[in-house]
Amino acid sequence: MKKEDSGIRKHPVVAHEQWVAARTAFLAKEKEFTRLRDELSQQRRELPWERVEKAYVFDAPNGKATLADLFAGKSQLIVYHFMFGPDDKAGCPSCSFWADNFNGIDTHLKHRDISFLAISRASLPRLEAYKQRMGWSFKWVSSNSNDFNFDFKASFTPEEVANGTADWNYSKQKPGSTEVVGISAFYKDPDGQIFHTYSCFQRGVDMMNGAYNYMDLAPKGRDEGDLRPTMAWLRRHDECED
Amino acid sequence: MKNDGGSVLKDHSVVSHEKWLKARTAFLEKEKEFTRLRDELNQRRRELPWEVVEKEYVFDGPNGRQTLDDLFDGRSQLVVYHAMFDPKSASASSSWTKDAACEQCSFWADTFNGIIVHLNHRDVTMLAVSRGPYAALNTYKGRMGWSFKWVSSGESDFNIDYQVSFTPEEMARKAGTYNYNQQPDHSEMHGISIFYKDPAGKVFHTYSSYSRGIDSLNATYQYLDLVPKGRDEGDRGPSWVCRHDEYADNAASHKGCGEQR
Repeated sequence: MKKEDSGIRKHPVVAHEQWVAARTAFLAKEKEFTRLRDELSQQRRELPWERVEKAYVFDAPNGKATLADLFAGKSQLIVYHFMFGPDDKAGCPSCSFWADNFNGIDTHLKHRDISFLAISRASLPRLEAYKQRMGWSFKWVSSNSNDFNFDFKASFTPEEVANGTADWNYSKQKPGSTEVVGISAFYKDPDGQIFHTYSCFQRGVDMMNGAYNYMDLAPKGRDEGDLRPTMAWLRRHDECED
Repeated sequence: MKNDGGSVLKDHSVVSHEKWLKARTAFLEKEKEFTRLRDELNQRRRELPWEVVEKEYVFDGPNGRQTLDDLFDGRSQLVVYHAMFDPKSASASSSWTKDAACEQCSFWADTFNGIIVHLNHRDVTMLAVSRGPYAALNTYKGRMGWSFKWVSSGESDFNIDYQVSFTPEEMARKAGTYNYNQQPDHSEMHGISIFYKDPAGKVFHTYSSYSRGIDSLNATYQYLDLVPKGRDEGDRGPSWVCRHDEYADNAASHKGCGEQR
């Protein structure tokens, strides 16, 4: 992405009429983009599904839960793959940022026939302690005792990471850690058969972060041009200096 | 948007893992192209010209009376969410009531409430502005459990000038302009406005967006776009949305909202 704050100095300033003319012209481009987005979402829904054949059992707040149980009576399930490995003391800061964006929306999603939750490989007690520290209310279960994270490419073995042979975001890559961020969607048909419909990783989860979408409207944009990594500015919400 | 509900679910194509991967990987290229287009659109947005804010606007909020300049709170960028809430004009046909802001705006607020702390660390101050009196805003905010700052533009021209409130005369004569080229449906409408304050203290209006222009700011919709049924709104729009404490299964007393109405 282009460095974004260089335009702040000597930015063109115009009369109201010219401002409205430029803005209205840009609105046509925005509408075209929105139509493209709707079209892309439609094409996504037309992708084929695959059957989930394996039985996965998770550690959930109310005891053991199968993947079918996690649908909680809905026909659609969204899993946020939250980077929190078995040896980590706390969840990843960037996933915590995404969680600040999705905490609270599960109430609305369940009225669209969707059960929404986060899954990580860390033990349930670690997930619950961190969730409490951050003040979140979404459901979070542990896949520590099953292959779920590996099968859905949200976790890799240390060897895969070291050798650069991880199947990350649909190509062989070398992720920075054994845990990566992602979102997976599942569908359960009226007979109880479960299908994996979609997964996305890396910048595929970018649209789901409302804060970035707000920044995209502001003069400085994301303003991450010189930062390496680009999210070097980010802190957990209770770790900001002020 | 196409009716994206149940029809797609019957007889949906189910394939082997290898074929699934092949289709998904091909689609990834389209998604990446879309992401590049989005970055480009965002870059062009930042290149739009600004206009100087000449008027002095005064707001009423938790810090007493504050000017637009004060609202920046030490940062150089200000994001205003225009929330539809004016108890005076509440009616049976308005989406806001005498004691509650509009359902849609409340839905948006659920998605921005927790992110402001992060925006603050990108030199952005964000708050909500409504025409209703501060006491009404604050009472409703307490009920919803939100923490963002919410100020009243009260009798100032702010909401009128930024085209989210319309006078009875404008409504009667159909003379209001909403989203640059359409007429408002109601006397209060929603939107986002962005302001910049330069080092000399001069304030500029850089951008405003309305209607579906604020769609990408609602993370819930972005998740809905990933699932088989999609938004599943057909021609009904967001009629399913309730205030988070008014869904039948959440409400202490069922108030009737969304599609339960």
